[in-house]
Order: sequence, then C-alpha cells, then structure tokens
Amino acid sequence: MSEMPAAPLLLQVALPTTAQPAVIAVGLLYFAVIIAISVWAARRTRTANDFFVAGKGIGLIALTVASVSVSVSGFAFIGGPGFIYAAGLGAMYIVLPAAVTNVMGAWVLAKRMRLLAEARGLITIPDAIGARYKSRAAQGLSAIAILVGIVGYMATNALAMGVVINSIFGIGLGWGIWIGMGVTLAYSASGGILAGIYNDVFQGTLMAAASVLVFLFVLNFGGGLGDISRTILAHDPTFLGPWGRLTPLAALSFFFVFSMGSLGQPQAVHKYYMLRDPLQLKWYPLLKTLGLILVLLLYFGVGVGVKAFVLDGRLAPLTSPDQATPTLLLNVTPIVLAALVFSGVAAATMSAANSFINIGAAIVTHDLPIAFGRRVSNELRWGRVVTVLIAVAAAVTAQRSGTMVAFLGIFGWGLFASTLVPALAVGLNWQGATRAGAMASIATGLLVTLALETAAYWKVFTFPAGVTASAVAMVSSFLVFFIVSWLTRHGAAVAIDSDIRLVMDI
Amino acid sequence: MTRRIALLALFVAIVAIATGYAAAFNRGGTPAWAPWLLALGIPVALGAIMILGAVRGAGGIGRLKIPFALVILILMMGFVAALALPATENPLSRLWLGLPVRAAIVIYGVGLLPIIVLPIAYAMTFETLTLSAEDIERVRESARHRSSAGSPPDSKEENAIIR
Repeated sequence: MSEMPAAPLLLQVALPTTAQPAVIAVGLLYFAVIIAISVWAARRTRTANDFFVAGKGIGLIALTVASVSVSVSGFAFIGGPGFIYAAGLGAMYIVLPAAVTNVMGAWVLAKRMRLLAEARGLITIPDAIGARYKSRAAQGLSAIAILVGIVGYMATNALAMGVVINSIFGIGLGWGIWIGMGVTLAYSASGGILAGIYNDVFQGTLMAAASVLVFLFVLNFGGGLGDISRTILAHDPTFLGPWGRLTPLAALSFFFVFSMGSLGQPQAVHKYYMLRDPLQLKWYPLLKTLGLILVLLLYFGVGVGVKAFVLDGRLAPLTSPDQATPTLLLNVTPIVLAALVFSGVAAATMSAANSFINIGAAIVTHDLPIAFGRRVSNELRWGRVVTVLIAVAAAVTAQRSGTMVAFLGIFGWGLFASTLVPALAVGLNWQGATRAGAMASIATGLLVTLALETAAYWKVFTFPAGVTASAVAMVSSFLVFFIVSWLTRHGAAVAIDSDIRLVMDI
Repeated sequence: MTRRIALLALFVAIVAIATGYAAAFNRGGTPAWAPWLLALGIPVALGAIMILGAVRGAGGIGRLKIPFALVILILMMGFVAALALPATENPLSRLWLGLPVRAAIVIYGVGLLPIIVLPIAYAMTFETLTLSAEDIERVRESARHRSSAGSPPDSKEENAIIR
C-alpha cells in the first residue's frame, strides 16, 4: 500500500451488474438530462472561443460546481472508499489536501490566468506558458506533456465508463465503453466546453447529493461515527491510527503529491479562463472547497463504515476492497440511492473525459500549430474533428488489454504535476524564472515520470516504501527549474512583455 | 523582499522533501527522521507558494501574514502530532467528535481547520490585497494599448504575439 498516488485512481474494478428497474430508470433519466443540456449548449456554440473556453462567460456558481465535478473522478466513489477499507485512515491523505488546494490555486493561478485571458485572449494552458516565457518551444513542449497525460487519462476514463454503464444496464463492457464515450463525444463535439460545463453542473450536483445521502445513511446505520469507531477499535485499532496501515512517509507523500500537484491539473486550471467576471473569484475557493467536502463525504463514510459493518458481521467480508461501495449500496441502502450513486460515478467519469477531450482538442488544433509557427484556419471545425478522433482513440484503446490501460492511467496526475507546477505556478509568480528553466523543468518532469513509471511497471525497479514516481518527478522538476533559472538568470525580467509583467505584478 | 523570502522558503522546503525521499533509498530502510522532513517541508512549501501567489509587485502580503502563518502552523502541528504522539488507540480510547485523538487531529485539524481560515481570509482581503476593478481596468488598458500598437490581443492573432 505504500506506492500509489495514481494507481488507485483507476476505476477498473469488476462492479456487480445491478440492472434493476430502478437503477435503469435513474440511469436513463440521467442520460436524458445530459442530452437535453447538450442540445441547448450546441445551439450557443458558434466560435472557437465558445468551444474551448465558453466565451469566458461562465458564472461563479456554474464554474464552481463544474470545477468540483472535474476534480473528482470515479475513484472518489469506488476506488477511494476501497482504499480506506484496505489501508485505513492513511488513505485520507489523498483527499485531505482539498482543505488548501482550492484557495492555493486561487492565490497562485486563478487571478493571473484570468487576467492573462483579459490581456491576450489566451484560451489554453500552453498559451499561458508561451506568453509568459515568450517561447513557442515552451508552449509546444508543455502541450506535448499535457497530451501524453491526456492519452492515459482518456483510456482509463473510457474503461471506467464502460465498467459503470455495464453495471447499470448489464449490456457488456464493450458496449458500455462505446455508449459512454458516444454520449460524451456527442456533447463534447457539439457543444464543446459549454456543454461540458453545464453537464458538469448537473453531474456535480448529482455527485454531491449522492455523497451526502450515502454518508448520512452510513452514520445512521452505524449508530453514529463514535459507534463505528468503537467497533473498529475493538478489532483493528491500527486502522484508525493517523497513518492507517501506510507508513508515515507514504501518507505524507500522498499529501505532497495531491496538494502541490493540484496546481498542475489542466482540467481544473483551464477553468480559470472561463469565469465571466474576474471579481467573482472572491468566493470561488470557499464555494469550491465546500462543494468538494460534500462530494468527498462518501469517500470517508463508506470506507470507514463498511470496515465497521464487516467487522461486526453486518456485512460479509469483501472479495476485494473495491467492492466496498457496491456491497454497501446493494445490501444496505435503498435501491434508489444505489441508482443515484451509480449514475454519480458515470457522471464523474464522463465529466472528466469531456474536460480532457476538450483540452486535448485545443492542444492539437491550437497549441501545436502555434509551436510550429502555423495557425489552423477554422479552429472550431477542426476542434470538433479532433474531439471525435480523441474519443474514438480512447474507446479503442480502452478495449485493449487491461494491463496496457492500467499502465496508461498510472502516470496522468504525476505527469501533469511534474511538468506544469514549476513552469506555470511558480513561473507566473516569479519574474526571475527563465525560459530555459521552464523548458528544462517540463522536460525533466516528462522524462522522469515516463522513465520511472515504465521501470516500476515492468518491475525493472522497485521504489522504497513511501516513494513514488510522481513525487520524485515533481521534486526533480522543481529543483531543475530553480537551478537552471538561477544559472540563466541574466536578463530574465527583461525577457517578459510589459503586459505580462503587469499581470504578474498585480 | 517577501517574494524572495517565499522563493527561498519554497526552495529549502523542496530540498528538505527531496532529502526525505532520498533517505528512503537507504539500504537499511527508511530512517526515522525522513518523514519528519516531509512533515515540516510540506507545510512550508505550500505556505511559501501561496505567499508567492499573494504578493503584489514588490509589496508584502499585509494582513494575510496571520492566516498564512496560522495554516502553516496547523499543518505542521498536525503532522508532528501524528508522528510524535504515542499509539494509544484501543476500544476504551477517548473519542473526539467520534475519532481517536490522533486521527481526530489529522482529519479535523489538517483536513478541516484550514477551510475555516484560508478561503475566508481570501474573500475578506480580496479587493484590497488580491484583485480590484482598477487592476482589471489597468490590464484592459494595457491590452488596448498593445492592440493599437499593432499586436492585437485577440487569440486569433496570437502568432504575432508569441515571438
């Protein structure tokens, strides 16, 4: 249990097939709402700006709920509670950073990214890196890094969709993947990020409602948190220790990777461009943090609750930790609540997939051409074409061996963190950062992550307990960024355009 | 000055965290002091990067000193307490809001207390220390100036902007 910042984020469990009338009815209702929102959004999407950043016209509440939705994957509903069931409270170090990450993002990135959109009309994260360092090469390199991460995330999300949809409708994994991806593709290609945002609002609300209801149900069923704790302490006191069954280094490592690394997650950072009025950022961190806490109640409640219910004999021992949520839902809670949660999991995977498809399409049609000194004449049309290609490629990849998909999904979070946090988050706040420092840092993050994850995956190399490829890559990327920037520091501040310097000074 | 201190603190904290990881490669197993480096380094790194983001120009962070210091201390004390307090969890343990003491410190202290401090401080100081309508107008004016000087800020013309 000591190695896995990203591995447990996969949703590749064999969920039980529910296929009961109530579950199917809620599932169909869920898809009907998605389609209705998408049709509405498609009618409002007329330009590339609408397609990629919703015309910078999203209000505070919509942006907040959408941002919560893309920040939480199916892992929070299935893999996470299972991880707590297996590792005890040490698994909480993945989600505890939520208390600081949103406000940290607001201070470090939100204001400057949103002002960059005012100053330059930027629409992508590599755009910001290109403008900050006056470098098409830096823009291209960061675009490639993000694209590599997206390949992995998309394949695992497509597989996760297939797993959940098969669980709801009982139609088989292959059909589940194609139907899930097809629906996501339909709204991504037609309504772009606008459809994505408003579907995220619906999906985020659904996830929060499902999470709160399940948490309250667990507390009620277990006689309160105190009784649940007493049951666990009588059988397995280590479970409720501050590190659970993890080593302190492993738990703290989770906290580091998932706190600092949050500043490099494109699906969340990209949203800063979209806020209609920059002054609305004032309440964004508070609202988003509260939203995240609601969505994560299930993570804690089910993980701890199921442990107690198994220990006191009210639930049979699980065949695998990932069965914690399905076992609770199908044996203890009302079936409608189970249906809500399964739809919530589908929502989480589709929401994440939509965001990544949109960001990937922007990279292919916007950032990479710019890096090569070219422009795509009709970004909206080509954005839609690339959206289809990415979705189909992800669905095809997801049909291949689980081993390959697992490998692709392992490095997403760590790759984004190690390639983007120093160059973007520190770079936008430090005029002494240089183009050479940024490019060296991005390259280091990319190479170290890929090399270490590959070596670890093929068991060429084993990390000591508590050390992960993501953590090593992020630390290496930071150090390279500082050292190379320092070595090339002469003239660093002069190499920044005056409007960008103004954004960095405010 | 504040920016420099924050940068230095971030660098030192990252070096401390890197040292903690490097120590784990020790053939005799992870030394007992390695997690302490992370327990101290992580709060400093997070606090430093937040301060770096909050600084305006060559100025300081004003009233934000207090919430930043408070949250760095909360995180540090939470991790240190979890490392230092003896393991006394048993069926008769006293529970704090339903959890044994060390778990409660981590879940409620590290996981919930910062929510009460930082987002509120962010909202309360937003206009004065983070972003005002005048700031936005200055950026828009700069964009207009750049546009009239021949480098339109429109994304369609970005190729001309990125040299």
